Amino acid sequence: MTRIVLVRLAWMLPILFGVSVVAFALMRALPGDFAQAAAGTTDLSPEALDTIRRGLGLDKPIWAQYLLWLGGLASGDFGSSFVTHKPVLGELLPRLAVTAELTLMAGAMAMVLGVFTGLASARLRGRTDWFVRGFNGLLLAVPNFVVATLIVLLAGLYFPELGIFNYTPFFTDPLGNLGSMLLPAFALALAVSVTISENTRAAVLEVSSQDFVMVARAKGLRPGAILRNYLVRNALTPVITVTGLQLASLLGGSILIETIFTIPGMGQYLFDSITSRDYPVIQAIVLVAAVIVLLVNVLVDVAYARVDARVSYG
Amino acid sequence: MVEARPVAEAPAPRKRRHLLLALGVVMLVTMLLVTAFGPWIAPYDAIATSPNSLAGPSAEHWLGTDSIGRDVLSRLIIGGRTTLLITFVAVSLAVAAGLVLGLVSGYVGGLADELIMRALDIVFAFPVFLLAIAVVAALGPTVPNLILTIAIVYTPIMARVVRAPVLSVKRWDHVEAARSVGVGELRIAIVHVLPMVVSPILVQTSLTLANTIFTVTALSFLGIGPPPPDPNWGGMLSEARQFMELAPLTVIGPAAAIVFATLTFIVLANGLRDLLDVGSH
Amino acid sequence: MATSDKPLLQVQRLSAQFTRDGVVSQVVKGISFDIAAGEAVGFVGESGCGKSVTARAMMRLAPEGSSVELGGEVRFDGQDLLQLREADMCNIRGQRIAMVFQDPMTSLNPVLSVGAQIDDIVSRHTGMSRAQARRRTVELLGLVGIRDAARRADDFPHQFSGGMRQRVLIAIAVSCQPELLIADEPTTALDVTVQAQILRLLLRLRQELGMALMLITHDFGVIAGMVERVYVMLDGQIVESGAVDDIFARPQHDYTRALLDAVPRLESAGRTRS
Repeated sequence: MTRIVLVRLAWMLPILFGVSVVAFALMRALPGDFAQAAAGTTDLSPEALDTIRRGLGLDKPIWAQYLLWLGGLASGDFGSSFVTHKPVLGELLPRLAVTAELTLMAGAMAMVLGVFTGLASARLRGRTDWFVRGFNGLLLAVPNFVVATLIVLLAGLYFPELGIFNYTPFFTDPLGNLGSMLLPAFALALAVSVTISENTRAAVLEVSSQDFVMVARAKGLRPGAILRNYLVRNALTPVITVTGLQLASLLGGSILIETIFTIPGMGQYLFDSITSRDYPVIQAIVLVAAVIVLLVNVLVDVAYARVDARVSYG
Repeated sequence: MVEARPVAEAPAPRKRRHLLLALGVVMLVTMLLVTAFGPWIAPYDAIATSPNSLAGPSAEHWLGTDSIGRDVLSRLIIGGRTTLLITFVAVSLAVAAGLVLGLVSGYVGGLADELIMRALDIVFAFPVFLLAIAVVAALGPTVPNLILTIAIVYTPIMARVVRAPVLSVKRWDHVEAARSVGVGELRIAIVHVLPMVVSPILVQTSLTLANTIFTVTALSFLGIGPPPPDPNWGGMLSEARQFMELAPLTVIGPAAAIVFATLTFIVLANGLRDLLDVGSH
Repeated sequence: MATSDKPLLQVQRLSAQFTRDGVVSQVVKGISFDIAAGEAVGFVGESGCGKSVTARAMMRLAPEGSSVELGGEVRFDGQDLLQLREADMCNIRGQRIAMVFQDPMTSLNPVLSVGAQIDDIVSRHTGMSRAQARRRTVELLGLVGIRDAARRADDFPHQFSGGMRQRVLIAIAVSCQPELLIADEPTTALDVTVQAQILRLLLRLRQELGMALMLITHDFGVIAGMVERVYVMLDGQIVESGAVDDIFARPQHDYTRALLDAVPRLESAGRTRS
């Protein structure tokens, strides 16, 4: 078991390395002058510009800059924001927490919705199956930001008292916070729930045709018990892993949702930084997002390998 | 995000196979015709403003006007051109690159395979949308940059889809037999390998087209898509947010256009899948 | 065990018809047979002759997602099983009629311990508490020859060999002392050496518990020494039936002769003793 973990982690290292290089290179590949962007103004004497350049280490060869940057990362120094001049990490963490909350809520909703519809689709078949699959198919065609915008439109037209854009921080008002996150999380969850639904349906259908389910029926076990202990428990493992792999999609989608619902998360921070050309922040966010996705993928792989051992030894 | 179906299912009954594909083709042709002849069929100039702002649907303006009096329908038609152009070109590039990389990687194997796959994994590790945003932010939101970004972002999946059948075909008995008799590698590649690759690539291309519509419109929604004054669907949706309760069509119009385009490619993908009986990866 | 002149199981004109994609296939074409209480009967025929379908039809276990139409009567202790409500059929399955299937490698739930898979059928059909059920489970595992039963009850299927898994499945089948045990090709997927052990186990359990046994197989060699009567099936119909010794000595039907010829001589020579 630990061997599997180590193997997966080892596999991750070169990719992590590559990811860091890409994140670094992205921001150095800019048209125009990095130092100038740091200064935020073009109205500078060449000497002033030079000082900035040296301060940022831009006079050193590119690989040295990369190593410096990497070293800084290790000690938690993600650079300073060009806009606020404060350390990026400090600005990023609270926003990351908000995005994490949104993402987790969306993931949970997507799972509930997806598993429920997938299960219904697989067990009830017939019209239910057609309806669910048709609806899923249609839903796939509606991007999450379109869904979110339509939700805001509907709310504005028919439920004006709902107050959509009233995000409150968690520690100020936990219930209010959760309430304000409900619709955004839902908008984010819909697209992901389709994938989960399809996967659940397929997994349940596959498991239903297995011999051990037939044996369970031959034992005279009640349908409810068979569903719980034989069908769902076996079908859920692939479903959970698929959900984990949806994280990337959720993170990407959170940018759009946060922008639409004015939620101060990492996504909105990214967007703001792009607008204000705050390159250290962009760099940090891209890196953090990629690392999180990688870590979750590895976790999911490991979890699956562990369960798979039981299934594949046979 | 649109993904391939998880488990290979029994082939759909004959009639349904062709129905979906036919529907997809009809939708695609409609879209292409409308956007191709856009400048001639659009009732108004897409960027012409007028004092008649936020109007509801009427005989003059079928879908009303936006906040500065521009005709929504015309903007939708013209906006489609840029969106679809970027989409098709970018995906074509991704397919081409994916084909080359996948074929080389799968066929040559060994170190080349490892290196190529690792490199692609790195791109794969980034959430698609995040990467697209970052690259466009770095390079600047021009149409060529958008095309390039999207091509880069979707190349890995194409390469993977190509590589899989190549790997399995390589080991087929009659391919080994052909090789042992002295048939050249290139000929083997063309005669045996390429046909196996066509089906999955066609399906994946449709799926990627659908995903690209999402990415392009999402980027333009955030304001880093094709620059103004050309209209684009994502941008229209975003601008409409300010006054949307007053003129819901400014939201519903672009929303419907985006959904229609995405749906077209999804239907095509499913139609192709049913027709070609492709299990998914 | 019930003693009466009426057979425990009386099947009349049983038929089974599958419809798939508009194509109808008659897999069982109106067969009739019976099994007396405590009697052991063999069903022999090649793959596809309908013998397994017959067994599943009796238990009303249609494969998932396929539609099958059953005709005829399956009278078990006087009741026609084909007319029962599903809820009532559920009570009969596992408790009064039990089944052992062919492939032990895929017949156990991989995510539950083997103990849990015996506990659940025991508690389903009796009112036992968890502790009582577990005691019974351990007892059963010992009965089928699994050493260190108490500890092994917590192990998972993948930790057992094929032969051991089949023993577990047999333990599950006999757990509620059914009146009829249907064994569908119980040794086909096992190694030759293990086959004999499993057959001996079935024989012993049958004697100890007094169950009727319906042994389904394609191999006449398996039948010898296990059953009293034999039905030979071909293409959905019964082509010959009789006492096992009679069939072996004087096979009437060409097909029966062919099946008998297929058995390796050495084995049958050693086995025709009951």
